[in-house]
Amino acid sequence: MENILEVKDLVKNYGQFCAVDKISFNVPKGKVIGFLGPNGAGKTTTIHMLLGIALSNGGEIKYFGRDFYKNKSACLQRINFASSFNTLQGRISVYENLLVFAKLYAVKNPKQKIANLVKYFEVEDLLDQRFWDLSAGQKTRVNLIKSLINDPELILMDEPTASLDPDIADKTLSLIEDLRKSKKLSILYTSHNMNEITRICDEVIFIDHGKIVAQDTPLGLTKRLSKSTLRLTFEDKKNALEKFLKAENQKFTKINKNTVVIKLNEKEIPKIIFGISQAGVWITDIEVEKPTLEDVFLQIARGKKYVH
Amino acid sequence: MSIERIKAVILQELFITKRSLEVIMDLFFFSVVSILVFGLVSVFISQSAGVRTAQLLLIGLLLWEIIRITQYSMSVGALWNIWSRNLSNMFIAPLTLAEYMIAQMISGIIKSLFIFLLISTITILIFHFNIFNLGLLNLAFFFMNLTIFSWSLGIVLLGVIFRFGTRIQALAWGTVFIFQPLTAAFFPVKILPSFLQNIAYLFPPTYVFEAARGALSNQSINWQYMLISLLENLIYFAASLWFFNLMFKKSKQTGQFSRNEG
Repeated sequence: MENILEVKDLVKNYGQFCAVDKISFNVPKGKVIGFLGPNGAGKTTTIHMLLGIALSNGGEIKYFGRDFYKNKSACLQRINFASSFNTLQGRISVYENLLVFAKLYAVKNPKQKIANLVKYFEVEDLLDQRFWDLSAGQKTRVNLIKSLINDPELILMDEPTASLDPDIADKTLSLIEDLRKSKKLSILYTSHNMNEITRICDEVIFIDHGKIVAQDTPLGLTKRLSKSTLRLTFEDKKNALEKFLKAENQKFTKINKNTVVIKLNEKEIPKIIFGISQAGVWITDIEVEKPTLEDVFLQIARGKKYVH
Repeated sequence: MSIERIKAVILQELFITKRSLEVIMDLFFFSVVSILVFGLVSVFISQSAGVRTAQLLLIGLLLWEIIRITQYSMSVGALWNIWSRNLSNMFIAPLTLAEYMIAQMISGIIKSLFIFLLISTITILIFHFNIFNLGLLNLAFFFMNLTIFSWSLGIVLLGVIFRFGTRIQALAWGTVFIFQPLTAAFFPVKILPSFLQNIAYLFPPTYVFEAARGALSNQSINWQYMLISLLENLIYFAASLWFFNLMFKKSKQTGQFSRNEG
Protein backbone atom coordinates (compact mmCIF):
# COMPACT_ATOMS: atom_id res chain seq x y z
CA MET A 1 0.00 0.00 0.00
CA GLU A 2 1.23 3.48 -0.88
CA ASN A 3 2.48 5.45 2.10
CA ILE A 4 1.64 9.14 2.26
CA LEU A 5 3.88 9.69 5.28
CA GLU A 6 6.92 7.69 6.32
CA VAL A 7 8.68 8.40 9.60
CA LYS A 8 11.92 6.63 10.35
CA ASP A 9 13.98 6.79 13.56
CA LEU A 10 12.72 10.28 14.41
CA VAL A 11 14.47 11.84 17.41
CA LYS A 12 13.88 15.03 19.36
CA ASN A 13 15.99 16.07 22.32
CA TYR A 14 15.50 19.08 24.57
CA GLY A 15 18.94 19.28 26.16
CA GLN A 16 19.43 16.02 28.03
CA PHE A 17 15.73 15.14 27.82
CA CYS A 18 14.74 12.86 24.98
CA ALA A 19 11.16 13.79 24.02
CA VAL A 20 10.96 11.53 20.97
CA ASP A 21 13.17 8.50 20.83
CA LYS A 22 13.71 6.93 17.41
CA ILE A 23 10.11 6.39 16.45
CA SER A 24 9.15 4.92 13.08
CA PHE A 25 5.72 4.58 11.52
CA ASN A 26 3.84 5.07 8.27
CA VAL A 27 0.52 6.59 7.30
CA PRO A 28 -0.86 4.70 4.27
CA LYS A 29 -3.09 6.35 1.69
CA GLY A 30 -6.72 6.59 2.75
CA LYS A 31 -6.11 5.36 6.30
CA VAL A 32 -6.79 7.05 9.62
CA ILE A 33 -4.00 6.44 12.09
CA GLY A 34 -4.59 7.24 15.75
CA PHE A 35 -1.62 8.69 17.56
CA LEU A 36 -2.12 8.25 21.27
CA GLY A 37 -0.26 8.61 24.49
CA PRO A 38 -0.41 10.20 27.92
CA ASN A 39 0.36 13.89 28.38
CA GLY A 40 4.04 14.53 27.77
CA ALA A 41 4.48 11.29 25.81
CA GLY A 42 5.84 13.14 22.76
CA LYS A 43 2.75 13.28 20.50
CA THR A 44 2.61 17.03 20.01
CA THR A 45 6.39 17.28 19.62
CA THR A 46 6.19 14.63 16.89
CA ILE A 47 3.39 16.48 15.12
CA HIS A 48 5.31 19.75 15.31
CA MET A 49 8.29 18.03 13.67
CA LEU A 50 6.02 16.55 11.02
CA LEU A 51 4.78 20.08 10.28
CA GLY A 52 8.25 21.64 10.27
CA ILE A 53 7.66 24.04 13.15
CA ALA A 54 10.07 22.08 15.38
CA LEU A 55 13.39 20.70 14.21
CA SER A 56 14.31 17.06 14.75
CA ASN A 57 17.67 15.90 16.05
CA GLY A 58 17.73 12.84 13.84
CA GLY A 59 15.74 10.52 11.67
CA GLU A 60 13.81 10.96 8.50
CA ILE A 61 10.39 12.33 7.51
CA LYS A 62 9.11 11.59 4.02
CA TYR A 63 5.87 12.80 2.47
CA PHE A 64 4.84 11.20 -0.82
CA GLY A 65 8.25 9.54 -0.93
CA ARG A 66 10.11 12.86 -0.77
CA ASP A 67 12.35 14.10 2.02
CA PHE A 68 10.37 16.70 3.99
CA TYR A 69 13.21 19.03 4.92
CA LYS A 70 14.54 19.14 1.36
CA ASN A 71 11.09 19.65 -0.22
CA LYS A 72 9.29 21.50 2.53
CA SER A 73 7.09 23.84 0.51
CA ALA A 74 6.11 21.13 -1.97
CA CYS A 75 5.18 18.73 0.86
CA LEU A 76 3.30 21.36 2.88
CA GLN A 77 1.29 22.22 -0.23
CA ARG A 78 -0.23 18.71 -0.13
CA ILE A 79 -0.91 18.34 3.59
CA ASN A 80 -2.70 20.37 6.25
CA PHE A 81 -3.29 20.59 9.96
CA ALA A 82 -6.31 21.02 12.22
CA SER A 83 -6.12 21.51 15.94
CA SER A 84 -8.32 22.84 18.66
CA PHE A 85 -5.24 24.57 20.08
CA ASN A 86 -4.39 26.62 17.01
CA THR A 87 -6.97 29.09 15.87
CA LEU A 88 -7.21 31.47 12.99
CA GLN A 89 -6.64 35.23 13.13
CA GLY A 90 -9.26 36.40 15.60
CA ARG A 91 -9.52 40.02 14.53
CA ILE A 92 -10.56 39.39 10.96
CA SER A 93 -13.63 37.70 9.54
CA VAL A 94 -14.03 34.03 8.72
CA TYR A 95 -14.09 34.83 4.99
CA GLU A 96 -10.97 37.00 5.22
CA ASN A 97 -9.13 34.25 7.10
CA LEU A 98 -10.11 31.63 4.56
CA LEU A 99 -9.21 33.90 1.66
CA VAL A 100 -5.72 34.46 3.11
CA PHE A 101 -5.16 30.71 3.47
CA ALA A 102 -6.59 30.00 0.02
CA LYS A 103 -4.03 32.39 -1.40
CA LEU A 104 -1.22 30.95 0.75
CA TYR A 105 -2.03 27.54 -0.74
CA ALA A 106 -2.42 29.03 -4.25
CA VAL A 107 -5.98 27.71 -4.53
CA LYS A 108 -7.48 28.27 -7.96
CA ASN A 109 -10.78 30.13 -7.80
CA PRO A 110 -10.59 30.68 -4.02
CA LYS A 111 -14.04 32.29 -3.74
CA GLN A 112 -15.75 29.23 -5.23
CA LYS A 113 -13.66 26.89 -3.08
CA ILE A 114 -14.59 28.77 0.08
CA ALA A 115 -18.26 28.83 -0.95
CA ASN A 116 -18.26 25.06 -1.48
CA LEU A 117 -16.59 24.29 1.83
CA VAL A 118 -18.73 26.61 3.96
CA LYS A 119 -21.80 25.05 2.39
CA TYR A 120 -20.54 21.54 3.16
CA PHE A 121 -19.87 22.50 6.78
CA GLU A 122 -23.06 24.55 7.02
CA VAL A 123 -21.39 27.75 8.17
CA GLU A 124 -22.40 30.10 5.33
CA ASP A 125 -23.92 32.53 7.81
CA LEU A 126 -20.62 32.90 9.68
CA LEU A 127 -18.55 34.25 6.81
CA ASP A 128 -18.77 37.90 7.86
CA GLN A 129 -18.27 37.26 11.57
CA ARG A 130 -14.95 37.85 13.24
CA PHE A 131 -13.26 34.55 14.09
CA TRP A 132 -12.95 35.42 17.79
CA ASP A 133 -16.72 35.92 18.03
CA LEU A 134 -17.45 32.29 17.08
CA SER A 135 -18.38 29.52 19.53
CA ALA A 136 -15.99 26.60 20.12
CA GLY A 137 -17.97 24.36 17.78
CA GLN A 138 -18.06 27.00 15.04
CA LYS A 139 -14.31 27.60 15.40
CA THR A 140 -13.68 23.87 15.02
CA ARG A 141 -15.69 23.78 11.81
CA VAL A 142 -13.91 26.82 10.39
CA ASN A 143 -10.57 25.27 11.38
CA LEU A 144 -11.56 22.13 9.50
CA ILE A 145 -12.46 24.23 6.46
CA LYS A 146 -9.04 25.84 6.63
CA SER A 147 -7.46 22.40 6.83
CA LEU A 148 -9.31 21.34 3.65
CA ILE A 149 -8.78 24.51 1.64
CA ASN A 150 -5.90 23.02 -0.37
CA ASP A 151 -7.52 19.60 -0.97
CA PRO A 152 -4.86 17.92 1.16
CA GLU A 153 -3.98 14.27 0.80
CA LEU A 154 -3.06 14.07 4.48
CA ILE A 155 -4.39 15.99 7.47
CA LEU A 156 -2.72 15.98 10.84
CA MET A 157 -5.39 16.45 13.48
CA ASP A 158 -4.42 17.33 17.03
CA GLU A 159 -7.41 16.77 19.30
CA PRO A 160 -9.82 18.47 16.89
CA THR A 161 -12.82 17.79 19.11
CA ALA A 162 -11.30 18.88 22.43
CA SER A 163 -13.49 21.41 24.24
CA LEU A 164 -16.56 20.52 22.17
CA ASP A 165 -19.79 19.28 23.73
CA PRO A 166 -20.70 15.65 22.89
CA ASP A 167 -23.27 16.63 20.28
CA ILE A 168 -20.96 18.95 18.33
CA ALA A 169 -18.08 16.50 18.77
CA ASP A 170 -20.23 13.74 17.28
CA LYS A 171 -21.20 15.94 14.33
CA THR A 172 -17.57 16.89 13.80
CA LEU A 173 -16.55 13.23 13.81
CA SER A 174 -19.28 12.42 11.31
CA LEU A 175 -17.93 15.17 9.07
CA ILE A 176 -14.43 13.74 9.36
CA GLU A 177 -15.75 10.26 8.53
CA ASP A 178 -17.59 11.66 5.49
CA LEU A 179 -14.51 13.49 4.32
CA ARG A 180 -12.40 10.42 4.67
CA LYS A 181 -14.80 8.41 2.54
CA SER A 182 -15.51 11.06 -0.08
CA LYS A 183 -11.97 12.38 -0.52
CA LYS A 184 -9.96 9.26 0.44
CA LEU A 185 -8.05 11.35 2.95
CA SER A 186 -5.24 10.04 5.09
CA ILE A 187 -5.39 11.32 8.64
CA LEU A 188 -3.00 11.22 11.57
CA TYR A 189 -5.32 11.74 14.51
CA THR A 190 -4.51 12.48 18.13
CA SER A 191 -7.14 12.49 20.83
CA HIS A 192 -7.64 11.56 24.44
CA ASN A 193 -11.11 10.31 23.66
CA MET A 194 -10.79 6.56 23.21
CA ASN A 195 -14.31 6.14 21.84
CA GLU A 196 -13.44 8.56 19.03
CA ILE A 197 -10.28 6.66 18.27
CA THR A 198 -12.10 3.33 18.22
CA ARG A 199 -14.74 4.85 15.96
CA ILE A 200 -12.61 6.41 13.26
CA CYS A 201 -9.11 4.91 13.33
CA ASP A 202 -7.93 1.99 11.21
CA GLU A 203 -4.80 1.63 13.25
CA VAL A 204 -3.51 3.05 16.50
CA ILE A 205 0.01 3.96 17.55
CA PHE A 206 0.64 4.27 21.28
CA ILE A 207 3.55 6.43 22.30
CA ASP A 208 4.95 6.73 25.81
CA HIS A 209 8.12 8.42 27.03
CA GLY A 210 8.93 9.21 23.41
CA LYS A 211 8.78 5.59 22.24
CA ILE A 212 6.17 3.62 20.36
CA VAL A 213 4.94 1.01 22.83
CA ALA A 214 2.14 -0.54 20.78
CA GLN A 215 0.80 -0.41 17.25
CA ASP A 216 -2.23 -2.31 15.97
CA THR A 217 -5.88 -1.95 15.02
CA PRO A 218 -8.11 -0.78 17.89
CA LEU A 219 -9.59 -4.28 18.09
CA GLY A 220 -6.17 -5.92 17.95
CA LEU A 221 -4.92 -3.77 20.78
CA THR A 222 -7.84 -4.55 23.06
CA LYS A 223 -7.57 -8.27 22.28
CA ARG A 224 -4.04 -8.20 23.61
CA LEU A 225 -5.52 -7.39 26.98
CA SER A 226 -6.64 -10.94 27.64
CA LYS A 227 -8.82 -10.43 30.69
CA SER A 228 -12.51 -9.70 30.30
CA THR A 229 -14.85 -9.11 33.19
CA LEU A 230 -17.78 -11.52 33.66
CA ARG A 231 -20.42 -10.39 36.12
CA LEU A 232 -22.90 -13.08 37.12
CA THR A 233 -26.07 -12.73 39.15
CA PHE A 234 -27.58 -15.97 40.39
CA GLU A 235 -30.17 -17.49 42.71
CA ASP A 236 -29.18 -19.84 45.53
CA LYS A 237 -26.49 -22.54 45.43
CA LYS A 238 -23.73 -20.06 46.20
CA ASN A 239 -21.53 -22.83 47.54
CA ALA A 240 -21.87 -24.87 44.35
CA LEU A 241 -20.83 -21.84 42.30
CA GLU A 242 -17.80 -21.09 44.45
CA LYS A 243 -16.79 -24.72 44.44
CA PHE A 244 -16.99 -24.81 40.64
CA LEU A 245 -14.96 -21.61 40.17
CA LYS A 246 -12.28 -22.83 42.58
CA ALA A 247 -12.11 -26.16 40.77
CA GLU A 248 -11.68 -24.25 37.51
CA ASN A 249 -8.96 -22.14 39.14
CA GLN A 250 -10.85 -18.90 38.41
CA LYS A 251 -10.27 -15.83 40.54
CA PHE A 252 -13.50 -14.09 41.50
CA THR A 253 -14.83 -11.33 43.71
CA LYS A 254 -18.11 -11.51 45.59
CA ILE A 255 -20.02 -8.27 45.10
CA ASN A 256 -22.96 -9.41 47.23
CA LYS A 257 -24.54 -12.72 48.15
CA ASN A 258 -25.98 -13.16 44.64
CA THR A 259 -23.35 -11.52 42.42
CA VAL A 260 -19.77 -12.41 41.56
CA VAL A 261 -17.27 -10.78 39.24
CA ILE A 262 -14.80 -13.04 37.46
CA LYS A 263 -11.71 -11.86 35.57
CA LEU A 264 -11.02 -14.35 32.85
CA ASN A 265 -9.97 -14.87 29.27
CA GLU A 266 -12.70 -14.07 26.79
CA LYS A 267 -12.49 -17.56 25.25
CA GLU A 268 -13.29 -19.19 28.60
CA ILE A 269 -16.59 -17.40 29.10
CA PRO A 270 -18.92 -19.94 27.36
CA LYS A 271 -17.25 -22.85 29.15
CA ILE A 272 -17.59 -21.20 32.57
CA ILE A 273 -21.23 -20.24 32.06
CA PHE A 274 -22.05 -23.72 30.82
CA GLY A 275 -20.17 -25.29 33.77
CA ILE A 276 -21.98 -23.14 36.33
CA SER A 277 -25.33 -24.10 34.83
CA GLN A 278 -24.34 -27.75 34.90
CA ALA A 279 -23.51 -27.35 38.59
CA GLY A 280 -27.18 -26.50 39.11
CA VAL A 281 -26.77 -22.75 39.68
CA TRP A 282 -29.62 -20.67 38.31
CA ILE A 283 -28.02 -17.66 36.53
CA THR A 284 -30.39 -14.69 36.34
CA ASP A 285 -28.13 -12.09 34.70
CA ILE A 286 -24.90 -12.12 32.72
CA GLU A 287 -22.75 -9.06 31.94
CA VAL A 288 -19.55 -9.28 29.93
CA GLU A 289 -17.20 -6.32 29.84
CA LYS A 290 -14.56 -6.65 27.16
CA PRO A 291 -11.31 -4.62 27.42
CA THR A 292 -11.54 -1.26 25.72
CA LEU A 293 -8.95 0.99 24.20
CA GLU A 294 -9.25 3.03 27.35
CA ASP A 295 -8.01 0.02 29.34
CA VAL A 296 -5.03 -0.21 27.01
CA PHE A 297 -4.40 3.52 27.43
CA LEU A 298 -4.63 3.29 31.21
CA GLN A 299 -2.22 0.35 31.31
CA ILE A 300 0.30 2.34 29.33
CA ALA A 301 -0.26 5.62 31.14
CA ARG A 302 0.13 3.93 34.52
CA GLY A 303 3.38 2.37 33.45
CA LYS A 304 2.20 -1.24 33.48
CA LYS A 305 3.86 -3.68 31.14
CA TYR A 306 1.92 -3.87 27.93
CA VAL A 307 1.63 -7.04 25.88
CA HIS A 308 3.30 -6.49 22.49
CA MET B 1 9.56 32.46 -4.04
CA SER B 2 5.84 32.96 -4.63
CA ILE B 3 4.37 36.40 -5.29
CA GLU B 4 0.91 35.00 -4.47
CA ARG B 5 1.98 34.00 -0.95
CA ILE B 6 3.63 37.38 -0.40
CA LYS B 7 0.39 39.01 -1.50
CA ALA B 8 -1.55 36.74 0.87
CA VAL B 9 0.45 37.93 3.90
CA ILE B 10 0.07 41.57 2.82
CA LEU B 11 -3.66 40.97 2.40
CA GLN B 12 -3.87 39.60 5.93
CA GLU B 13 -2.00 42.69 7.20
CA LEU B 14 -4.48 44.89 5.38
CA PHE B 15 -7.44 43.04 6.92
CA ILE B 16 -5.93 43.29 10.41
CA THR B 17 -5.12 46.99 10.01
CA LYS B 18 -8.61 47.70 8.74
CA ARG B 19 -10.33 45.85 11.59
CA SER B 20 -8.04 46.55 14.52
CA LEU B 21 -8.60 49.63 16.65
CA GLU B 22 -5.20 49.08 18.25
CA VAL B 23 -3.40 49.38 14.91
CA ILE B 24 -5.41 52.45 13.98
CA MET B 25 -4.55 54.03 17.35
CA ASP B 26 -0.87 53.03 17.28
CA LEU B 27 -0.27 54.13 13.71
CA PHE B 28 -2.73 56.73 12.51
CA PHE B 29 -3.99 58.34 15.72
CA PHE B 30 -0.58 58.51 17.42
CA SER B 31 1.08 59.97 14.32
CA VAL B 32 -1.62 62.57 13.74
CA VAL B 33 -1.71 63.67 17.39
CA SER B 34 2.10 63.82 17.50
CA ILE B 35 2.30 66.04 14.43
CA LEU B 36 -0.39 68.32 15.84
CA VAL B 37 1.49 68.66 19.15
CA PHE B 38 4.86 69.15 17.46
CA GLY B 39 3.29 71.60 15.05
CA LEU B 40 1.93 73.71 17.86
CA VAL B 41 5.25 73.54 19.73
CA SER B 42 7.00 74.62 16.52
CA VAL B 43 4.67 77.61 16.22
CA PHE B 44 5.56 78.54 19.79
CA ILE B 45 9.30 78.04 19.24
CA SER B 46 9.28 80.00 16.01
CA GLN B 47 8.28 83.09 18.00
CA SER B 48 11.42 82.96 20.14
CA ALA B 49 14.01 80.78 18.39
CA GLY B 50 13.05 81.50 14.81
CA VAL B 51 11.20 79.70 12.05
CA ARG B 52 14.15 77.52 11.00
CA THR B 53 14.50 75.94 14.42
CA ALA B 54 10.80 75.22 14.46
CA GLN B 55 10.99 73.60 11.05
CA LEU B 56 13.88 71.38 12.19
CA LEU B 57 11.57 69.98 14.82
CA LEU B 58 8.87 69.21 12.25
CA ILE B 59 11.38 67.60 9.86
CA GLY B 60 12.60 65.44 12.74
CA LEU B 61 9.13 64.18 13.58
CA LEU B 62 8.00 63.59 9.99
CA LEU B 63 11.07 61.48 9.27
CA TRP B 64 11.01 59.79 12.65
CA GLU B 65 7.53 58.46 11.96
CA ILE B 66 8.92 56.53 8.97
CA ILE B 67 11.21 54.62 11.37
CA ARG B 68 8.55 54.07 14.02
CA ILE B 69 5.83 52.88 11.70
CA THR B 70 7.97 50.58 9.57
CA GLN B 71 9.55 48.94 12.62
CA TYR B 72 6.18 48.64 14.35
CA SER B 73 4.68 47.01 11.28
CA MET B 74 7.51 44.47 11.05
CA SER B 75 7.54 43.42 14.70
CA VAL B 76 3.94 43.81 15.79
CA GLY B 77 2.62 42.23 12.56
CA ALA B 78 3.87 38.85 13.78
CA LEU B 79 2.51 39.46 17.28
CA TRP B 80 -1.07 39.78 15.97
CA ASN B 81 -0.75 36.23 14.68
CA ILE B 82 0.98 34.94 17.82
CA TRP B 83 -1.77 36.41 20.00
CA SER B 84 -4.37 34.73 17.80
CA ARG B 85 -2.44 31.42 17.83
CA ASN B 86 -2.31 31.64 14.08
CA LEU B 87 1.40 32.08 13.36
CA SER B 88 2.12 28.35 13.18
CA ASN B 89 -0.88 27.95 10.85
CA MET B 90 0.84 30.41 8.53
CA PHE B 91 4.11 28.50 8.60
CA ILE B 92 2.36 25.15 8.23
CA ALA B 93 1.25 26.50 4.86
CA PRO B 94 3.94 26.46 2.16
CA LEU B 95 4.91 30.01 3.14
CA THR B 96 8.69 30.43 3.36
CA LEU B 97 10.45 32.66 5.84
CA ALA B 98 11.77 34.87 3.02
CA GLU B 99 8.26 35.36 1.63
CA TYR B 100 6.92 36.24 5.07
CA MET B 101 9.71 38.77 5.70
CA ILE B 102 9.34 40.39 2.28
CA ALA B 103 5.58 40.70 2.83
CA GLN B 104 6.13 42.36 6.21
CA MET B 105 8.69 44.75 4.68
CA ILE B 106 6.33 45.75 1.88
CA SER B 107 3.50 46.15 4.36
CA GLY B 108 5.75 48.40 6.46
CA ILE B 109 6.57 50.59 3.44
CA ILE B 110 2.92 50.92 2.47
CA LYS B 111 1.89 51.96 5.97
CA SER B 112 4.77 54.36 6.55
CA LEU B 113 4.39 55.96 3.12
CA PHE B 114 0.67 56.42 3.63
CA ILE B 115 1.09 57.97 7.07
CA PHE B 116 4.07 60.07 5.98
CA LEU B 117 1.94 61.57 3.21
CA LEU B 118 -0.96 62.08 5.60
CA ILE B 119 1.02 63.91 8.29
CA SER B 120 3.03 65.85 5.69
CA THR B 121 -0.25 67.09 4.28
CA ILE B 122 -1.35 68.14 7.77
CA THR B 123 1.86 70.13 8.28
CA ILE B 124 1.37 71.83 4.92
CA LEU B 125 -2.27 72.69 5.58
CA ILE B 126 -2.11 73.65 9.25
CA PHE B 127 1.48 74.69 9.93
CA HIS B 128 2.44 75.91 6.46
CA PHE B 129 5.57 73.81 6.29
CA ASN B 130 6.17 71.75 3.19
CA ILE B 131 8.72 68.96 3.67
CA PHE B 132 8.68 68.34 -0.07
CA ASN B 133 10.63 71.58 -0.40
CA LEU B 134 13.65 69.50 0.67
CA GLY B 135 13.51 67.97 -2.79
CA LEU B 136 11.89 64.76 -3.96
CA LEU B 137 15.19 63.00 -4.62
CA ASN B 138 16.40 63.97 -1.17
CA LEU B 139 13.19 62.62 0.36
CA ALA B 140 13.51 59.42 -1.65
CA PHE B 141 16.99 58.83 -0.24
CA PHE B 142 15.83 59.69 3.28
CA PHE B 143 12.87 57.34 2.97
CA MET B 144 15.01 54.52 1.60
CA ASN B 145 17.67 54.74 4.29
CA LEU B 146 15.22 55.13 7.17
CA THR B 147 13.14 52.23 5.86
CA ILE B 148 16.08 49.85 5.54
CA PHE B 149 17.19 50.72 9.08
CA SER B 150 13.66 50.13 10.39
CA TRP B 151 13.49 46.79 8.60
CA SER B 152 16.75 45.75 10.24
CA LEU B 153 15.54 46.79 13.67
CA GLY B 154 12.16 45.10 13.07
CA ILE B 155 13.83 41.89 11.90
CA VAL B 156 16.07 41.76 15.00
CA LEU B 157 13.10 42.31 17.31
CA LEU B 158 11.07 39.71 15.43
CA GLY B 159 13.90 37.24 15.89
CA VAL B 160 14.04 37.95 19.63
CA ILE B 161 10.24 37.52 19.91
CA PHE B 162 10.34 34.21 18.01
CA ARG B 163 13.20 33.01 20.18
CA PHE B 164 12.01 34.12 23.62
CA GLY B 165 8.27 34.40 23.14
CA THR B 166 5.73 37.01 24.04
CA ARG B 167 7.20 37.64 27.50
CA ILE B 168 9.52 40.18 25.86
CA GLN B 169 6.89 41.56 23.48
CA ALA B 170 7.11 45.06 25.00
CA LEU B 171 10.40 45.43 23.13
CA ALA B 172 8.39 45.54 19.90
CA TRP B 173 7.02 48.96 20.87
CA GLY B 174 9.68 50.38 23.15
CA THR B 175 13.06 49.59 21.64
CA VAL B 176 12.80 52.01 18.75
CA PHE B 177 12.69 55.00 21.10
CA ILE B 178 16.27 54.32 22.23
CA PHE B 179 17.26 55.51 18.77
CA GLN B 180 15.41 58.80 19.02
CA PRO B 181 18.18 60.50 21.03
CA LEU B 182 20.95 58.27 19.68
CA THR B 183 20.26 59.24 16.07
CA ALA B 184 19.71 62.90 16.91
CA ALA B 185 16.26 62.94 15.38
CA PHE B 186 15.22 66.33 16.75
CA PHE B 187 18.52 68.15 17.28
CA PRO B 188 21.94 68.41 15.63
CA VAL B 189 24.43 65.67 16.50
CA LYS B 190 26.83 68.29 17.92
CA ILE B 191 24.40 68.79 20.83
CA LEU B 192 25.19 65.27 22.05
CA PRO B 193 28.13 64.62 24.42
CA SER B 194 31.21 63.73 22.37
CA PHE B 195 31.17 60.00 23.21
CA LEU B 196 27.52 59.80 22.17
CA GLN B 197 28.32 61.64 18.94
CA ASN B 198 30.65 58.78 17.99
CA ILE B 199 27.94 56.28 18.81
CA ALA B 200 25.34 58.29 16.89
CA TYR B 201 27.35 58.04 13.70
CA LEU B 202 27.19 54.25 13.94
CA PHE B 203 23.50 54.44 13.05
CA PRO B 204 22.28 55.19 9.50
CA PRO B 205 19.36 57.48 10.51
CA THR B 206 21.82 59.96 12.07
CA TYR B 207 23.15 60.78 8.59
CA VAL B 208 19.62 61.14 7.26
CA PHE B 209 18.55 63.56 10.00
CA GLU B 210 21.75 65.59 9.61
CA ALA B 211 21.35 65.68 5.83
CA ALA B 212 17.69 66.70 6.15
CA ARG B 213 18.58 69.59 8.44
CA GLY B 214 21.26 70.63 5.93
CA ALA B 215 18.78 70.41 3.06
CA LEU B 216 16.56 72.94 4.75
CA SER B 217 19.06 75.66 3.75
CA ASN B 218 19.51 74.39 0.22
CA GLN B 219 18.00 71.45 -1.58
CA SER B 220 21.35 69.88 -2.42
CA ILE B 221 21.83 66.19 -1.74
CA ASN B 222 24.48 65.24 0.79
CA TRP B 223 25.82 62.33 -1.24
CA GLN B 224 28.50 61.48 1.28
CA TYR B 225 26.02 61.10 4.12
CA MET B 226 23.56 59.19 1.97
CA LEU B 227 26.28 56.78 0.88
CA ILE B 228 27.57 56.19 4.42
CA SER B 229 24.01 55.70 5.59
CA LEU B 230 23.34 53.18 2.83
CA LEU B 231 26.55 51.24 3.48
CA GLU B 232 25.83 51.06 7.20
CA ASN B 233 22.30 50.00 6.38
CA LEU B 234 23.49 47.17 4.17
CA ILE B 235 25.71 45.89 6.99
CA TYR B 236 22.90 46.17 9.54
CA PHE B 237 20.42 44.55 7.20
CA ALA B 238 22.70 41.58 6.44
CA ALA B 239 23.48 41.21 10.15
CA SER B 240 19.79 41.36 11.07
CA LEU B 241 18.92 38.60 8.59
CA TRP B 242 21.73 36.44 9.94
CA PHE B 243 20.57 37.10 13.51
CA PHE B 244 16.95 36.37 12.64
CA ASN B 245 17.81 33.06 10.98
CA LEU B 246 19.84 32.10 14.02
CA MET B 247 16.98 33.00 16.39
CA PHE B 248 14.36 31.27 14.23
CA LYS B 249 16.41 28.08 14.01
CA LYS B 250 17.05 28.16 17.76
CA SER B 251 13.35 28.75 18.37
CA LYS B 252 12.45 25.64 16.37
CA GLN B 253 15.21 23.62 18.03
CA THR B 254 14.09 24.48 21.54
CA GLY B 255 10.38 24.16 20.70
CA GLN B 256 9.80 27.81 21.63
CA PHE B 257 8.30 28.59 18.22
CA SER B 258 5.37 26.26 18.78
CA ARG B 259 5.14 27.17 22.48
CA ASN B 260 4.79 30.87 21.58
CA GLU B 261 1.14 30.21 20.97
CA GLY B 262 0.61 27.84 23.85
